[in-house]
Amino acid sequence: MPEYTVLTVVAVFAVVVAELVYFKSGIFATAQYWWSIVIIFAFQVLVDGWLTKLSAPIVIYSTDEFLGLRAPWDIPIEDFGFGFAMVTLAILLWRRWLDRRPSVEEGDGG
Amino acid sequence: MGHLDHFQYLLLMAGCLLITLPLEFVLGARVYRRAVGLAFAVIPVVIIFSVWDIVGILRDHWSYSPRFTTGVKLIFGMPIEELVFFVVVPLCGLLTYEAVGQVLRRTRGRSRVGELGPHA
Repeated sequence: MPEYTVLTVVAVFAVVVAELVYFKSGIFATAQYWWSIVIIFAFQVLVDGWLTKLSAPIVIYSTDEFLGLRAPWDIPIEDFGFGFAMVTLAILLWRRWLDRRPSVEEGDGG
Repeated sequence: MGHLDHFQYLLLMAGCLLITLPLEFVLGARVYRRAVGLAFAVIPVVIIFSVWDIVGILRDHWSYSPRFTTGVKLIFGMPIEELVFFVVVPLCGLLTYEAVGQVLRRTRGRSRVGELGPHA
């Protein structure tokens, strides 16, 4: 399997395992998380579509290192695993911070 | 647009920040205003995904258009645009997550009050 494909599968798997055995935030059982993922993926298509468009690419992929499947437009499908892992990790850490700190809602932000 | 070409990647990232700004100030996501939590969430993501990015560069999984990037490189040839990406994208993700949370709380609150529909 191409290396980017392998790394993407590993990253998605690692984030899911991190939630199940370490974070245990329960986000995978919430509508808030899944609605967010749907919206984020929709915007990923626009931004990533621009970054990867073969007519004038900003990011150029070696054809040997991913499956070669590009959809929608010219986006390597691995990118969606990359995005899922990155955003999910950020949400897990954010939730960790929210759930761990004392319930002082005002005067924060500094 | 010729002279702006080198800033295309950065401008795209600026667009992401601009378009998500109402989530903070209209929908009340309160992500920017919890900067400590934001840093707690984003810094590990930046580190982990920068490592992945550098591995990808060194192993020739991907490269970056010299035409559409500034040419400013960080360690191991990682373009500064990628660092910006690893901050902006999780940030936009958190803004989305918190905004969705706000919307769900409001709609649930409303449906508790009025189950009778729009004409009630």
